[in-house]
Amino acid sequence: MSPDRRTFLKTTGAAVSGAAVGACTPQSPSADAEASGDRILDEALLRAVAEVVLPAELGTTGHEQVVLAFQGWARSYQPVAELNHGYGTSEIRYGPPDVVPAWQAQLRALDLEATKRHAAGFASLEASLRDQILRRQVDDSPEMPGPLRAHHVAVALLSFWLSSPEATDRCYGVRVGPRTCRSIESAPDEPDGVT
Amino acid sequence: MKRRIEEADVAIIGGGITAAMVAEKLTDEHDVDVVVIEAGARAVPLEARRERRRRYIDYGENPWTDDHIGDQSAEGIMSRSMVVGGQALHWGGTTPRFTPEDFRLRSLFGIHEDWPIEYETLDPYYQEAEERIGVAGEQGPDPLDPRGTPYPMPPLPLSWTLERLREWVTGAGIPVWTNPQSKNTRPWRGRPVCQRCDTCNICPTGAKYTPDYTFGQLESQGRIRLHPHTLVRRLELEAGRSRIHAAVARHYDDPEQDVVYRAGTFVLAAGYTWSPHLLLLSRQGRWANGLANSSGLVGAYMTGHRSVSTIIELPVRLLPGMFSNHSLISKYFQRPTEEGGPGLGRGFMRYDFRVWESNTARRPRLRDDRGALLLGDDVLADWRARTATGTTRLRCYYDVLPDRNSRVVLAERSRNRFGDPLPRLEFRDAPVSTDLRGATEESIRGVFGRLAAAGGGRILQTSVDQVQDHPGGGCRMGDDPDTSVVDGWGRSHDHDNLFVVGAPTMVSGGCNNGTLTFCALSVRSAEEIGRAFPERAG
Repeated sequence: MSPDRRTFLKTTGAAVSGAAVGACTPQSPSADAEASGDRILDEALLRAVAEVVLPAELGTTGHEQVVLAFQGWARSYQPVAELNHGYGTSEIRYGPPDVVPAWQAQLRALDLEATKRHAAGFASLEASLRDQILRRQVDDSPEMPGPLRAHHVAVALLSFWLSSPEATDRCYGVRVGPRTCRSIESAPDEPDGVT
Repeated sequence: MKRRIEEADVAIIGGGITAAMVAEKLTDEHDVDVVVIEAGARAVPLEARRERRRRYIDYGENPWTDDHIGDQSAEGIMSRSMVVGGQALHWGGTTPRFTPEDFRLRSLFGIHEDWPIEYETLDPYYQEAEERIGVAGEQGPDPLDPRGTPYPMPPLPLSWTLERLREWVTGAGIPVWTNPQSKNTRPWRGRPVCQRCDTCNICPTGAKYTPDYTFGQLESQGRIRLHPHTLVRRLELEAGRSRIHAAVARHYDDPEQDVVYRAGTFVLAAGYTWSPHLLLLSRQGRWANGLANSSGLVGAYMTGHRSVSTIIELPVRLLPGMFSNHSLISKYFQRPTEEGGPGLGRGFMRYDFRVWESNTARRPRLRDDRGALLLGDDVLADWRARTATGTTRLRCYYDVLPDRNSRVVLAERSRNRFGDPLPRLEFRDAPVSTDLRGATEESIRGVFGRLAAAGGGRILQTSVDQVQDHPGGGCRMGDDPDTSVVDGWGRSHDHDNLFVVGAPTMVSGGCNNGTLTFCALSVRSAEEIGRAFPERAG
């Protein structure tokens, strides 16, 4: 078995279930929020965040794709889901409560600070001002958390993209393709470059 | 209490990989009526596994929904899977054999116990188990990796990254080869070729063996009856005799009724925790300490092995993520002899050796070394700079010989919904292992250090896993009824129609993953069980 997998089996539960999504995270899932459609994050604000936290080389189209994928991921998240369990532990662990209300509140906070400081909405600010506000509000975690562990929606969005096979391929400049189903015959070959 | 009677020639208790081996071999070769009784639910069907895999990747969710029973747990560390397919649903599929020394520790080194069978005896059963579950492997160099017949399938190809790591390790003088896996490199028994999806704990294609495939085939052919959601609570003896007469169970959907299984032969295939636990629960009459327990050793000598792991940084570019579940193995440090083993020389000290690709210390990060927040282009630039060189993970499992008081016992104050005491597990090293532990771990660290130096790299971190991995024991096998629970076939010394198969019968845990050995022992038990039944027509 992969060492990373074994470590993952032992630590995923603790990592995810132990995650606080922020001090303002509600203690239980918000059924009302789900029912009212509030689980959709403000897209314009999210796009404005993406332009700051994601690499510029993804381009506008790339940013848009990440934002859409992140929205879908957040919408499909099931609060307090049973987490993977495996060897070396008897404990059954559960994931965090609904992350979306806290993230939505954080997006609104970005907009509020922008309005108070600059008399304009966050999405309408130039990138350098958005960057300043974001840096003031994001968490101070020393390590990149998994998206569900992120204390701030901006870090969650960045982490979400970084955990994708596309991000790994872009980092290495070749098609590593982690967790992508493909032929075993090609495994010994040096991967093709990313164009 | 209402009672429902079920009858069969053979009642197999437990629905994991060893039960699958016994059920398949028995019904392949004999005209025999088999019922398999499993406390857990049926496994997530193959067609749902892609979606379950996606949610496991995206959210860390348990890919095997309903794979455990809330109040059927234990005090102490125990894996929770209780489901049709058992722990082998989300196993990694790694299938090394033990080595000949594992079976002769007393004869060769004067410590612990010999098994009642030798490696050469088990070799054909290893082969049969490998055929049944489908193992792909590479023959290791002589004399490190003895086997009588070639692997059923050619090995899984190494990734480009593992090839680079193989060059480094062999260049340092340690022979390594492809770790054998129960994953198909050609279509095998109706299952497809591996696609290295790299989530082997939930294989979305069926290329990795899981026991539910065997049960599904046997059920569809009408060769067994499988009763899930049915917890066997005790075994009962015939009045005045030592033969097992019945297994008394409850179905979780009808808990007010006993289901009584009557059979000529009972096979306990419930793993290292629940097999001894059921025998202890079945205390009755003159068997006040539990059935099959005239030796007092039911639950004793629980065994496993520990490991030492390291992360080494190498000054070469590596590409983690190409096939992170695949690995290299060596038995170079595992085969000591009187004259001096290839890796370690004389005397008893043994460990295996594994190599994986790794992305440890090469993941993207939120802050740089000065603590500055990295966003946007800075994150990617930092990640790219740090992945110009790579890391690898090495791990060595080493022998931990069990103490007699390494045990499963009944935790009388901890009970399930039916009022039955649950198990408590406590693993303890035998004094010989306690004495050798420091030197073994130091020896392993020395190997890691030499390898790092040979590659011009450095060790980033080293750790010892305190949990005993790949556990077994609790009903150990032996020739002497005073010092063992079952004989070399898995038959109880005390009850001639009771067999215990697989993990619980292990005398020691070796330094390799145990599942293939559990399977080989189960296949061998099935051969003995089958002698009582006519050969299957045609």
